[in-house]
Amino acid sequence: MDTATYFLYILISSMVMNLALALYGVFYKPHLTKKIISLTILGDTANTFALIIGYRLWPGETTPSRPPVLVGWTHLNKTMLQQYVSSAVDPLPQALVLTAVVIGLAVTLFLVFLALQIYRHYGTLDVREIRKLRG
Amino acid sequence: MIGPMEIMIGITALAALFSTAATYLAITEKDLVKAVIYSAIQSTIYAFIYYMLMAPDIVLVYIPVAVGLYPAVILVLIRKTERWEKD
Amino acid sequence: MKRLVGLIVIILFILAFSLLLVVAGESIVPGRQVRWLARVYLNTSYNPWSPYFTVNSPESVTSVVWDYRGLDTVFETMVFYLAIIGSIALARGYRKYIPAKLDYSKLGLSIIVKTVTRITAPLIIIVAASIALHGHLTPGGGFQGGATGAVAPLLILIIFSQYYLIRRGVRKESMLIVRSLGLTGIGITAIAVFLAGLAADVHAYVLQNQAKATAPVSAPAYIDNQLISGTLWFFNIFEFFAVLAGFTIVLLLLTIPEKAYQDGGVK
Repeated sequence: MDTATYFLYILISSMVMNLALALYGVFYKPHLTKKIISLTILGDTANTFALIIGYRLWPGETTPSRPPVLVGWTHLNKTMLQQYVSSAVDPLPQALVLTAVVIGLAVTLFLVFLALQIYRHYGTLDVREIRKLRG
Repeated sequence: MIGPMEIMIGITALAALFSTAATYLAITEKDLVKAVIYSAIQSTIYAFIYYMLMAPDIVLVYIPVAVGLYPAVILVLIRKTERWEKD
Repeated sequence: MKRLVGLIVIILFILAFSLLLVVAGESIVPGRQVRWLARVYLNTSYNPWSPYFTVNSPESVTSVVWDYRGLDTVFETMVFYLAIIGSIALARGYRKYIPAKLDYSKLGLSIIVKTVTRITAPLIIIVAASIALHGHLTPGGGFQGGATGAVAPLLILIIFSQYYLIRRGVRKESMLIVRSLGLTGIGITAIAVFLAGLAADVHAYVLQNQAKATAPVSAPAYIDNQLISGTLWFFNIFEFFAVLAGFTIVLLLLTIPEKAYQDGGVK
């Protein structure tokens, strides 16, 4: 049995469980604030999946994988570049997640304003009571 | 065979388990202020997971957004609306 | 009906999880090698030996964000812009609420917290600016710097109250101007090399950074022997201002007291 793969499966299964819990919160919790909290957890978990796809296991027993930042570019030679390419993780999912986090916050702020307006109109944030007030 | 790589991924997997616990508490909590705090704990653990997954850029953007700004915004929303989630 | 939706969700979850387990061993669980595309990005992001493919930036993530996938990021900036515009539109109808008797020294939290914030808020802004300015050399960039810098106005809003910021000129209108300048800068930087190519009558692309084999015009990679990686540095600075000002507007609008809505406020 490969221990590293087992640990990675624990990581992925936890993220799947978080995804399920967040979906449950979005669908079944009646309060709009709780729905917003669940939605952010959902987004963060999706971002974590993207990062797990981009990760790479250590290329050797003693050579760790590295962040995708080239260190020592002022005195670069071809061996250093070769080592960098053979040990750095995938930069593409990180670039996609980077913008997704900031835009997720902007969209969450938009939802917060929507919830505030709903509270001013109906006096409550519980979707069951809102449904009762306006059919 | 437990090498350094297995220890690193094992710590990450342990953190992921704790994040699941924090998510469960955040979803099931009736007091919304406590729910936001549990959600912030979950975000902190996620930041640690991103660090272990070799993504320093994401950690830099995720810590101010998910641990700083976002709980504060939700707390302002709760302060302006209502605190308790009814059954 | 509610139970049916729940049942559908559970069944879809089981199906999706089994699909995940099937493909997990091949593509979701990471291996010791990365994909071919990732190797290309890592190999060319700073590579003096292949001058027609390199971005001249040691930071591969910033290279992907603003050069290889620059168009994606420009459109994501547009989504950000629209979300902020939506928030501002929803907050219309507010007036500035200023109480009749306003004693600035009585507002906000205690003097200890205020003194600590006076020290830390400029430090946060400085750290954010350094994250943004070094984005092409070390982990960081415009998005990270803007998000970090937005913590400082939030702290001031909560600890000093809103009137402190408004009295110092940080109001919605001025922040809108800063943000519009940032977005305009991003647009101009995106087409700068293209316009230079038009002027020099050679082939050039929109969002081009360094010279390509068929488009021999490039933004300067070094200024005064300092590596700025062409357009990446300008993109980072403008994105920093756009993100910082956008978040500041929304936080200002969010912390307007509810009284301003209830009795119309004082003009």
